[in-house]
Amino acid sequence: MFHNKSIFSLVLLYLCSALFSTALASADSIEQSVFRITNYQQSPDWKSPWKMKPTGSGMGSGFLISSGWILTNAHVVSDSRMLLVNKISSPEPFLADVVAIAHDSDLAILKVRDPRFYQNLRALELGGIPEVRSRVRAYGYPVGGQELSRTEGVVSRIEFGTYVHPGIDSHLLVQTDSAINPGNSGGPVTQSGKAVGVAFQSNLRLNDVGYFIPVPLINRFISDIEDGRYDGVPEIGVETSSLINQYYRQYLRLPEGTGGILVERVVPYSSADGVLQKGDVLTKIEDLQIDAAGMVRYGEQQVTFFIEAENRQIGDSLKMQVWRNGKFKNLTLTLKAPPFSTEMRNSYDELPEYLIFGGLVFIALNRNYIHSPGNVTPALAYEHWYREIERPQTRRKQAILISRVLPAPVNSGYTSLHNYVVNKLNGVSINSLAHLDKMLRNMSLGTHHVVFSSEWHSMPLVLDFEESKMQQDSILKRYGILAASNLVLE
Amino acid sequence: MYFVFPSALLAGFPPIKPWYQQSVILKTYQQSYDWRTPWEKREISTLTGMAIVVSLDLSTDTSISETNSFKNLFLLTTAEMVADATLIEATRKGNRSPFQAKLVLMDYAANLALLKINDAIFWENLRPVEWSSVKENGPADVKEIFSLKLNSQQKWEFESGKIEQMTVGHRDVSDAWFPLLKLSGVSFSGQGYPLLQDNETVGMILTAAGGKAKAMPAEMLYEFLQHAKSSPYLSLAHRGFSWRKLPQHSAAEYFQIPAETPGIWISRVLPFGTGSEVLKQGDYITKIGKWPLSYDGKIEHPKWGLALFDLLFLDQLKAGEELELSVIRSGKHLVLKTKVAAYRENGRIVPLKRVGFPPRYVIQGGFLFQELSVNYLRMWGSNWRTRAPVRLRLFLELNNTVMIPEKNNSAAFPSASNVLSDEHHRIVLVSQVIPDPLNIGYQQLSNAVILQINGQHIRSLEDVAAAFKNPIDNFHRLDFLPGSVRMSVILPANKITEANRRIQNNFRIPKLQVL
Repeated sequence: MFHNKSIFSLVLLYLCSALFSTALASADSIEQSVFRITNYQQSPDWKSPWKMKPTGSGMGSGFLISSGWILTNAHVVSDSRMLLVNKISSPEPFLADVVAIAHDSDLAILKVRDPRFYQNLRALELGGIPEVRSRVRAYGYPVGGQELSRTEGVVSRIEFGTYVHPGIDSHLLVQTDSAINPGNSGGPVTQSGKAVGVAFQSNLRLNDVGYFIPVPLINRFISDIEDGRYDGVPEIGVETSSLINQYYRQYLRLPEGTGGILVERVVPYSSADGVLQKGDVLTKIEDLQIDAAGMVRYGEQQVTFFIEAENRQIGDSLKMQVWRNGKFKNLTLTLKAPPFSTEMRNSYDELPEYLIFGGLVFIALNRNYIHSPGNVTPALAYEHWYREIERPQTRRKQAILISRVLPAPVNSGYTSLHNYVVNKLNGVSINSLAHLDKMLRNMSLGTHHVVFSSEWHSMPLVLDFEESKMQQDSILKRYGILAASNLVLE
Repeated sequence: MYFVFPSALLAGFPPIKPWYQQSVILKTYQQSYDWRTPWEKREISTLTGMAIVVSLDLSTDTSISETNSFKNLFLLTTAEMVADATLIEATRKGNRSPFQAKLVLMDYAANLALLKINDAIFWENLRPVEWSSVKENGPADVKEIFSLKLNSQQKWEFESGKIEQMTVGHRDVSDAWFPLLKLSGVSFSGQGYPLLQDNETVGMILTAAGGKAKAMPAEMLYEFLQHAKSSPYLSLAHRGFSWRKLPQHSAAEYFQIPAETPGIWISRVLPFGTGSEVLKQGDYITKIGKWPLSYDGKIEHPKWGLALFDLLFLDQLKAGEELELSVIRSGKHLVLKTKVAAYRENGRIVPLKRVGFPPRYVIQGGFLFQELSVNYLRMWGSNWRTRAPVRLRLFLELNNTVMIPEKNNSAAFPSASNVLSDEHHRIVLVSQVIPDPLNIGYQQLSNAVILQINGQHIRSLEDVAAAFKNPIDNFHRLDFLPGSVRMSVILPANKITEANRRIQNNFRIPKLQVL
């Protein structure tokens, strides 16, 4: 399940610190397997996409699971330039590398380069989903102290929720009142000596509330990377509405006692595309009955029916029963990756795409950019979120905009331009930055003007083509830019 | 610098006009509508300012005479002073007893209002103002102006300031651009205070704070009073287009505009105002009447020198007059004949702020239907432009874009060209669901744009009311814009009347619809 709303109150448990030290008995072997991770990171400057921001450092936690793998959160090791791992009460840092990373589920696996690191360590075994009201312990290295922190609490809720790191994804998460503080990120939450989750975020609006990623999602991640590649959590690709209202159920002539949730939109190119239809009522997924709020029984909990997709791999099949045209119908769909473009999710570990021409800085609109201060304008919001929903036939691979202008003689008069959405170049729709680059390179001989037009502005932006090419090198040199573009080739 | 302005202290100055006979103190009690709960009104607020005594019989001698009895006398103030007023009280200098004034005309876009007091006693010893034009050219000290500073009801003093600039601007109605005098040194004035210069009344203050003030020039006030005499009232002359300056020579070449040709590029033709009937988007205006335009939209004004062309509507171009616009269209020079036209409240898809009208709404089955308007968006507070839901703010932008509709648009909305070609098309929202057993399961819905009810496209609240008369198979089906919390709702037609009655009683709603 994904959504496009920011949950500002949720925060990742990374960087800030608060020391809590309640020693727990008989946990020595666990404590030996929990490590402090220091990440020297560098993230891109989305305003000047050819530049990187100053290097910073952050601390999180991780723990040994098997095969020399250290499990942690993706956000602990994102945008990394160097990773160091310290064992408990040891000043010696060990260099580590990211083996696999799943930004959609905020998980990562590291491996320490020096085999000495693994001497006398015992991997933590993964357990199951803890029961609500059962006690759990959280281990980690909150910033502010060098030593391991241990806290204890109960599981207070198990449900689907937003994962702050990717921004757009929701998965199963477990809520606990164990004091999970910033810096605990990536540390294990244990029960009966087994890891039952990875601590990862908290909620600023609530007191004593922390969240951890449950084992099914961790296992899914580990299975996913068995072939050496991470494919991601599959997505069914429907928008649904509850059928709690009895009159809607009467209207649909649903048999008495049938649950079910209404399909309001099938996302194009998704797993459900071509299988499910708008107006279908999803009544069963695999063998689980879906109730009128879209929930299924999951252990002792009711959670959204999306859980059945979440625990599978891309390419797996999923059985569904629908109520369509007054009859029950059994369907099977093949699970696919989420149908939205990478621009919808927070971006890490990648340099921003950009293209500079005539001093105009073109970028592909993405989540990182729109969430920069002052950028949630109606035009950008429409291009990022609503165009695909409301006018899917006008969908393009990327929404292109001129984020800024590097002042030069050729672009005189346009220098104050900011966030100008570009739809066409010389009358041809632009599909992506790479497409724009290709069009500019293949301009026919004798082209006098390049005309960038926008559905949002009546006046197109016009540059002298030859002059733009002539001034290109001097503009890059003047602003200290090494490359005119960074593109993902199509 | 502030000083008392008694004539005795200003030997050598012409006799001081009796300002206290031409201005009165105004106190208004205002209560605007609560657009979130449209059958309710908000808290009462008060505003204190002034009004200027005017005569609508401007052609006659303005001294007291038979023809200029109190029946011809009115009070002129800003529209903001009296917007949504529940009580307007006017008090003369030195007189404690207020008189109740009645609003007779308001032009909210121009921010002007006329009041009447039907009591001869009030008008005793009051004199209508004689308007004079601001003296701009000449020695520097001529730019000095004065404004009243009321220390008490009895003690009226003056503060002095300077004219900084004559420009154009708008107040609450963002597409109504009118002349504005920018002043410095004026801090203690308020709305409706007279602006004085060289012993004459040359304007009316709009705002003043921190040594900066804005005022409307006398020419505009005079024009408003002239228009006030005719019925129906016609607003003031205004341009009928939005414009941009050409960024650079490449753009000029592309638009086929000869090199070194000053002018302005028409980015949007408005549904009202001068030139709106003859101009096209992309036209390049080089001359308005006899006034050539500069690259940044300025003309050589006979009084103000190099100034924005909008100032021509202040004193050079009168509504109804013939006017020629010299334009370049697709590389060809044309002279377009038109008439100077006035501002009018226009059919924007999201109407700009209005006052004096109760919110329109329809309630059916607890679903509160309202039309999206700036009044509604302003419920998100003073920062509504960034705080109101971005999907709703997007509709506000539609009037300023050239979003091209796609063929075979299955979503039925938004098709910007359809919306913009229909002045009566509004965005209808379910702003909230008033809880009732009938609508259990729907109560989280808010600010959802309705597309269809019972298969009928919804373009106004009247459409909503009509569509509910035609249920399909005893059910009402509501379809919302994709991206809403939910996209469809079903209500039972045979239970809706009973639910409406229950909701009306339960929530003490006086009327289930106001259209």
